[in-house]
Amino acid sequence: MDAKFFKLLLLGGAVRFYFVRTPLASLISDRVEFATPLNSQKRMKEGIYLLDQGIDPYSGDLVHESPLVLKALSGLFLNFPQWLPLIYILLDLLTGALLYNLSVRFVKQKLQKQRLERKNYAKDTEQLQYNDDDNYDIPELVLIAYLFNPLTVLSCIGLTSTVLSNLFLALFLYFLTKGLLLPCIVLLAFETVRSLYPIVLMAPLLLVFARRSLIGGVMLSLLFAIACVIIAAASYLVLHSWSFLDGTLGFIFYFRDLQPNIGLFWYFFTEMFEHFRTMFLITFQLNATVLYLVPLSLKLRKEPLLLATVLVALMAVFRAYPSLGDVGFYLALLPLWKRCWKYMAHGFVVFTFFMVTLSMMGALWHLWIYAGSANANFYFGATLAFSTGQIFLITDLLFAHVKREFCLYNGQKIMIDGEEARILLK
Amino acid sequence: MGLLSDPSISTQNKLVDNLAKHVRKVCCGLYILGVVWLGCLALPEFNHGTYLSENALSPGLVYPEIRLDANRLAIQLLEELQRERKEHKSTTPHAWIAAKLNEFGLETHTHNYTLRYPFGGGKEYHGKNIYGILRAPRIASTEGIVFTAPYRAPSSVHPDISPSVPLLLAFADFARRKNYWAKDLIFLITEQEQLGMQAWLEAYHDGDRVLNVSKAYLLPGNLPARAGSLQAALNIEVQDLEIDYVDVKIEGLNGKLPNLDMFNLVQRIMAREGITSGYKQTARKKRRSNPSLFEKNLRQMLAMLATQSSGVPNGNHGLFHRYRIDALTIAAAKRQTHATLKGNAGSAAVPLLKAIEGIARSLNNLLERFHQSFFFYVIVNNDRYISIGDYMPALVALVACAFFKAYLTWSTLDSEVQQAAAAAVKPAETQTGSASGSGSGVETETDIDTELEDGLPYGSVLVYLTAVLLIGYLGNVLPLQQYFLEIPMGAAPLTTSVLSFLTLIGFILPFVVVLPAGGLELLHVGFLLIFGCSLIIIGLLNFALGFFVAVITVPVVIALDTSEQNCSGSMRNLTRFITLLLNPMVVVYVIVLAMSFYQYPELKLDKLLLRAATAAMDASAYGLIDNVIYGNWLYFVVSTVFLPLWILCWTLSLSKRRDIADYSDYEEPQPRKPQPEPQAKFKTN
Repeated sequence: MDAKFFKLLLLGGAVRFYFVRTPLASLISDRVEFATPLNSQKRMKEGIYLLDQGIDPYSGDLVHESPLVLKALSGLFLNFPQWLPLIYILLDLLTGALLYNLSVRFVKQKLQKQRLERKNYAKDTEQLQYNDDDNYDIPELVLIAYLFNPLTVLSCIGLTSTVLSNLFLALFLYFLTKGLLLPCIVLLAFETVRSLYPIVLMAPLLLVFARRSLIGGVMLSLLFAIACVIIAAASYLVLHSWSFLDGTLGFIFYFRDLQPNIGLFWYFFTEMFEHFRTMFLITFQLNATVLYLVPLSLKLRKEPLLLATVLVALMAVFRAYPSLGDVGFYLALLPLWKRCWKYMAHGFVVFTFFMVTLSMMGALWHLWIYAGSANANFYFGATLAFSTGQIFLITDLLFAHVKREFCLYNGQKIMIDGEEARILLK
Repeated sequence: MGLLSDPSISTQNKLVDNLAKHVRKVCCGLYILGVVWLGCLALPEFNHGTYLSENALSPGLVYPEIRLDANRLAIQLLEELQRERKEHKSTTPHAWIAAKLNEFGLETHTHNYTLRYPFGGGKEYHGKNIYGILRAPRIASTEGIVFTAPYRAPSSVHPDISPSVPLLLAFADFARRKNYWAKDLIFLITEQEQLGMQAWLEAYHDGDRVLNVSKAYLLPGNLPARAGSLQAALNIEVQDLEIDYVDVKIEGLNGKLPNLDMFNLVQRIMAREGITSGYKQTARKKRRSNPSLFEKNLRQMLAMLATQSSGVPNGNHGLFHRYRIDALTIAAAKRQTHATLKGNAGSAAVPLLKAIEGIARSLNNLLERFHQSFFFYVIVNNDRYISIGDYMPALVALVACAFFKAYLTWSTLDSEVQQAAAAAVKPAETQTGSASGSGSGVETETDIDTELEDGLPYGSVLVYLTAVLLIGYLGNVLPLQQYFLEIPMGAAPLTTSVLSFLTLIGFILPFVVVLPAGGLELLHVGFLLIFGCSLIIIGLLNFALGFFVAVITVPVVIALDTSEQNCSGSMRNLTRFITLLLNPMVVVYVIVLAMSFYQYPELKLDKLLLRAATAAMDASAYGLIDNVIYGNWLYFVVSTVFLPLWILCWTLSLSKRRDIADYSDYEEPQPRKPQPEPQAKFKTN
């Protein structure tokens, strides 16, 4: 917490405040890359209005926001709509601040752990170890990566509810590093009831709070289930109907809205024969949730935060209605693994991929929707390439982590028979 | 192990290191591959024969019913119109046209529009279009087809195409008697060339929109009647009722094309009626030279790309594309030689009328908008085309050079910078920061230390990039600012002076702001990425423009080299010189010069240069006006993308470094040499 932190926050706020007043804001809130059926501000407005009028918001197929959020924001939306952008900006800055604090704590923990294990490390690995400078550098990089990433800035000025999701996720991760169990579980249960996929973050939670104790794990899972039920019950009390379950979780699971987005679902489910739908639905949802969960949890059992980062990233790639705001969030977590960067070979390729595909999305969307000369295949090509780029990034991070762990104990230069050694995954 | 899980522990990749030594060779190879690929597409083996995808069109399924009486009507109307034209020297005989449309029993309306010309203090122009709607007998007015003819007053500088109006009216009279129309037919007569068309289209689609009157330049007004969603449009420009051949024009706004099915449809029906018709059709020449098929195809292809690249529509049809309406122009040329006259004059227009009827009936069959066939194609011959999948690789190969070089530059960056930084520490410390102080203000003394620690000065490069992009953005915004508009100056000198001023800033910028160590290399990578990315996007939106720009600029981009070793080589100086020549303004000037040389070969050189200069100034002003009125992107792209890219390229080709102490006395005179040239040009401008 120094002057620079506040300066950066102020600057980040100023950037958002400037852009939210330009015509760009309304443009972004209509772009499919940022506003999905889940997080669009227009739908939220509609939901709040319907709720206020005493109409079930989920009886139509427009609103998919959790009733608790609708109720909580209704006062703001109905009475002070002109302050709305400012509130969103403040929430986004809060997310940034949380990420900053979380990374301060994370680096401290890392340094402590390193002090204990230092004697096992190989000699020439200072470059791979966290050092005292990282106490300042890494949190600052995280903050910059969150506040000045165009993706998060645009997502914020588009007033998408991804701002809220990011805030809750940041809070969850913050409490996770702080070791506060109850807030963690409540936040996770809330996010799970709201948007299904965060359920996978139970894995890092269990790794942090119930390491090596089966009973503890079962207890925590039970507690989580109870929290979910309580939150669902609270939503029921707000709405007096259970329709919200189908309106939010059901809507996500059954993938009812085929509106194009940056994800992989829409094109596939547009093209598919109807009687295969159930099977592929399950396959896709498994892919987005549990498929990578077990192997990653086993591999990264010592690094719950890395597990959380990777799971959040995979979620952003494979979820049913992803938006670029989600992508921006996990990109901000990458500086935490600064000491792995040395082994990340594809950083440049991924950056180029992101840059080209994101700008192509705009052009191809124009050609498809407005000019009518291109078609869905062109746009899907760009989004597919974008997802591929993200997968490159995640795999690269994982592999870099494995290499770093290995080199930390075995030295950076290993020669076998005068040739450089190679690591094989077997 | 594969691409994702590279098993090597070492971060140094041998393959990359080896490739980095041959980066120019590989890039040259890619460049040649791209250009040769496009050339190869002219070979019959590489392109495909056209075919009709949309079955609903069924061209030529019905017998044409239009007869000699329609021709007689056309001739009679033409005579009447000629009489009217004697009275209306510089205006349109609205009353006569409206009376005729009414007489045929069409629902006739007039459409008024206003142009508020912003430059030189501001002027207002008024215009009037006339249109008649034939309501479809078979369906409610949900869909429509437009038949349009531009009217040119006798005082117009363009060739006389007044017979298009009688032809259109004769067809309208014929169509009104038929009961099979399933779409409303709109017969539209516009004036003031494309302006009238644009106003009508805007009024048709956005007429009810509330405009901010103080900011809008074209006030289209509203239409009293509409005919549903427009499916297709046919623009008719006929020079005479006795025609020699028909030239089918397809290039629209920003290089957009109508669906290939529409072109094929017109070609089929023209062929059936025995009219010589084709894309870029010209009068048959004497058999002096007989070029090979390849050469002919290549010429045709390049001619099409050249027309597309400016993004200016070559007929009124081009404006329809903006509203997702497929449209093309059939431009019929006057018969030159009367010796080969076949039929008598009394039935001369019948084939053309039959063709229009055939096209109308085919369009009438459409069940949905054109969507089956290609929208992205290049026509190599009247019946052969290249699809996007075949021509795009040419552009991709060219652009790949930039990305490839960027990757290799990046991966060799760390080692280079470390060496450079080690060498630069001493001079950087001794220098008193004279360069940095006058710069952007962000690079202060303290930054140098931290930058050397971090390796690369991301911050200052980012600031530099932003500043350069801002210059380009200003080029787009400044000429339309109120205080500039109020200056009593024509559009051409105003635009040119703003652009020259910005170019001059860009020219001086690298002399004033010198990036810290490693900054040039980083800027190089950033430049290559932005260059590649923008060319891909431009190529997607307008392939021709993207491709031509790539062909011209990629060699320089390959030749750019920021390393210190060969700082003063002749190669470096050549690169600088060519970079100066590639300045967007110089390129525009050279293109205009070449065009005026072909148009007026008899002029002397000094007169030619002067004429080209004024023409280039006009061209930039027209670009701006096209941008604000029609939505042509060319001006925007040139000022907001190409100008910043040029400034970056110029910075890189200069490669000014802060850390070379003896730089000033050794290198300074060299880059100054080409300086007078562009300035002299600005003065003549």
